[in-house]
Amino acid sequence: MGETARTVRASHPFLRYAGRRVITSILLVIGVTLVTFILTNLVPGDPVAASLGQRAAEDPAIVAHFRAEYGLDKPLVVQYFTYLGNLLHGNLGISTTTHDAVAADLAQALPATLEIAIGAIVLSVVIGVVLGTVAAYRRGKVSDHVLRVVSLAGLSVPTFWLALALYYFLYFKLHIAPGSGRLSSDFNTPHTITGLYTIDALLAGQLDTFFDALSHLFLPVLVLTLYTVGLLTRFVRTAVLEILDQDYVRAARAKGLPTRTVVWSYVLRGASIPVLTVVGLAFGSLLSGTVLVESIFSWPGIGSYAYQAASHLDLPGVMGVGLLIGVMYLLVNLIVDLLYGILDPRVRLA
Amino acid sequence: MVFRSAKTRIAVGSAAVALALVVTGCSSGKTTGSDSASKTLTIDKAFDLKTADPGRMYEPTGEMVDKALYETLLSFTGGDVSKVAPGLATLKVSSDSKTFTLTLTGTHKFSDGTAITADDVVFSLGRVIGVKGNPSFLLDGVTVTKKNATTVVLTTKTATPALPSILANPALGILNSKVVKAHGGTTTDKDSAEKYLNTHSAGSGPYVLSSLNLASQVVLTANKNYDGSDKPTYTRVVIQNVKGPTQKINVQGGSADVALDLSGTQATGLGSSIKVTSDPSANVIFLLLNQNPAVSKITSNPYFVKAVKESIDYADLVSIAGTGTSQAPGVVPSMFLGALKSADELKTDAAAAKSDLAKSGYAGESVTLNFPSDITLNGIEFPTLAQRIQSQLKTAGITIDLAPAPVATELDAYRNGTETIGLWYWGPDYPDPSDYLVFAPGNVVGLRAGWSATADASISKLADAATIGGSNAERASQFQDLQKALNSSGPFIPLLQPGNNIAAKSSVSGVVYNAVWTIDIAALGSK
Repeated sequence: MGETARTVRASHPFLRYAGRRVITSILLVIGVTLVTFILTNLVPGDPVAASLGQRAAEDPAIVAHFRAEYGLDKPLVVQYFTYLGNLLHGNLGISTTTHDAVAADLAQALPATLEIAIGAIVLSVVIGVVLGTVAAYRRGKVSDHVLRVVSLAGLSVPTFWLALALYYFLYFKLHIAPGSGRLSSDFNTPHTITGLYTIDALLAGQLDTFFDALSHLFLPVLVLTLYTVGLLTRFVRTAVLEILDQDYVRAARAKGLPTRTVVWSYVLRGASIPVLTVVGLAFGSLLSGTVLVESIFSWPGIGSYAYQAASHLDLPGVMGVGLLIGVMYLLVNLIVDLLYGILDPRVRLA
Repeated sequence: MVFRSAKTRIAVGSAAVALALVVTGCSSGKTTGSDSASKTLTIDKAFDLKTADPGRMYEPTGEMVDKALYETLLSFTGGDVSKVAPGLATLKVSSDSKTFTLTLTGTHKFSDGTAITADDVVFSLGRVIGVKGNPSFLLDGVTVTKKNATTVVLTTKTATPALPSILANPALGILNSKVVKAHGGTTTDKDSAEKYLNTHSAGSGPYVLSSLNLASQVVLTANKNYDGSDKPTYTRVVIQNVKGPTQKINVQGGSADVALDLSGTQATGLGSSIKVTSDPSANVIFLLLNQNPAVSKITSNPYFVKAVKESIDYADLVSIAGTGTSQAPGVVPSMFLGALKSADELKTDAAAAKSDLAKSGYAGESVTLNFPSDITLNGIEFPTLAQRIQSQLKTAGITIDLAPAPVATELDAYRNGTETIGLWYWGPDYPDPSDYLVFAPGNVVGLRAGWSATADASISKLADAATIGGSNAERASQFQDLQKALNSSGPFIPLLQPGNNIAAKSSVSGVVYNAVWTIDIAALGSK
């Protein structure tokens, strides 16, 4: 019985497909560590000069202590394998900037970025799918042209400019949005459970903190959404247009099915694979590309951490961010790949 | 309302229960109630914070934070850094500037209520030396000994007239040794108290550390046991990590009370409810022209150096830098002992430049100007400054090639003395002119300009005289002589002291710029 169950499970096409994707992802993670390590160490410049003050960098005893403390006195190959070995224990090294474990730093920064990235991707998908579908159905009509201009504007306006302009008008001029940061200064940070302030505030039963955290999400999420919506609307429009030309959609329309059923069950289901790919990529870039938005809104996320680590040549910090973003991309891609398998039987059977 | 499916009914039911649980069990996350005695002050600062541990801290944000958390043996009053004042102790200096006797006044207590003793002083200073961190160099060559329960003696092998100014640095704040030792504190590089000192403070300053996040904010609360002269007005202070452009909007919009990093242009037009305090900062931006002929035959020619000094339009550079900026009179900033007066500043002289350039034999070759492309100092962007210098020198007939690079990369070339012309700045390590002896031939910055120890005997002699020290008046005149000689024939061109602009709501009083700790948070009051 056990034997049979195992055979069935092992030979299930979806599980085999999933297994292949997971193994590929693990190999890719190792590849990411190697590439990040090589790139980080190729940067000309000495971390000692970048991390220590002018005077401290001139004192051989302090420099020797610094190099020994961060393992910079060993050959690069040894440094790499030590890094890999530590990685297996979940140890990403100690940041030369914050003097704290990189893993702990990232664990603190990631939820800040996730909070705005998740908000932005959810809103973008909802708005982008609606607008893209409308644009496709009204191809060539005024509303299609208007949506094209709007989505192009969202894509081409520089993010930092948009962020500053929105902050100036919505916070300073109109008093609709709150000031920068994740919470107003007269609120205490809620006890950390998830690191997402909105969730943590709810778990702590602090409704006023929850609403304050939620209101602080408004502007950064809005800026990120405006950009991502532009991208998604264009992709959804193209994908829907392609599907609308398919025979099975024509057949569905011809047999008089209501438009809602045609859109939901035929068109969007068919368009979901290319759209899913773009959503995955967009989410990845939201996680790694929020430096400017984080900087304007004083948001202590991954982008700010990456900038700080890079400007101080904090090699463990830079490696940590590189690895985290690499893993996040892989994870998102893995989920997208698995969703392909669920949505489209041809993928898992191939 | 009718829910059609069982699933929907279950979902809506669970959501309602969850919401009810949250609402019934809810409390407030706010820190200040309606109590008028509790006041929160919000300060916006672009963080360069790495730690709050005084033994390891050496960044401007850390200086400001630690000034609020710890007290030092000696201090400065307000913005005047040219004279030291007593702090936790009074000072007696031997005539040879090698023995410094510090006697605790005995009036201050740590935040846990215990008394400050000589043992705490010996431990705190010994720890700064022993952990081999960024501020360790401050006490290079200093031996700390306890004389009795209230007296500590600091001795140095060579004359160290700068030591009193150094002792006012918050990095040398006095720690509660019992508490720090209990959390891994030692006076060796095995010390492991940093983590504790980043979550708690262990000092006698007007504030105690409530929480610290290096990326986002530091929260201080008033020290109930503080018995110094400047009892804090604000019971809670939040220092937020915010970049310059956002700081401006925050202070205008009211979510920040004080903004510390506004550039000259950002500090204008803020409206009548905001008061701006503008002063030249203690940073000095300068050009260096390499004197090593192997690096450049052109810049090592003294007539070429003179021609460049005479070709630069200093007033124009000051005008692009904006509010608060002034021309640097010499390498020593204007607020320090021994600074030059504005009459001694370098001056633009196109005719003299033309003649000196002709004498140098320069024939229009390109000369490289290296600079850190990612440094913005008090709102002045180095690339903008470099471009303006390039265009000014072009008018004088000198061709400059700009070679920007990120600071982390360019520092190597600067420190190795391989830049032909470099555009850099010197921020003071401590507010004493002896910190600027590094610009003498054969010293650290001198060597970065390829200026060897034997390159200029007369300037070396002036530097040697300034090293020995003497009375304040004697020291002032020694450093002025040295800088006059540097301005006349040295390879450095002091350009600017960029303005430091502090914008505060007009309801906040007591904003005074200090070159070491930017502002004394405890001195801020409410109008």
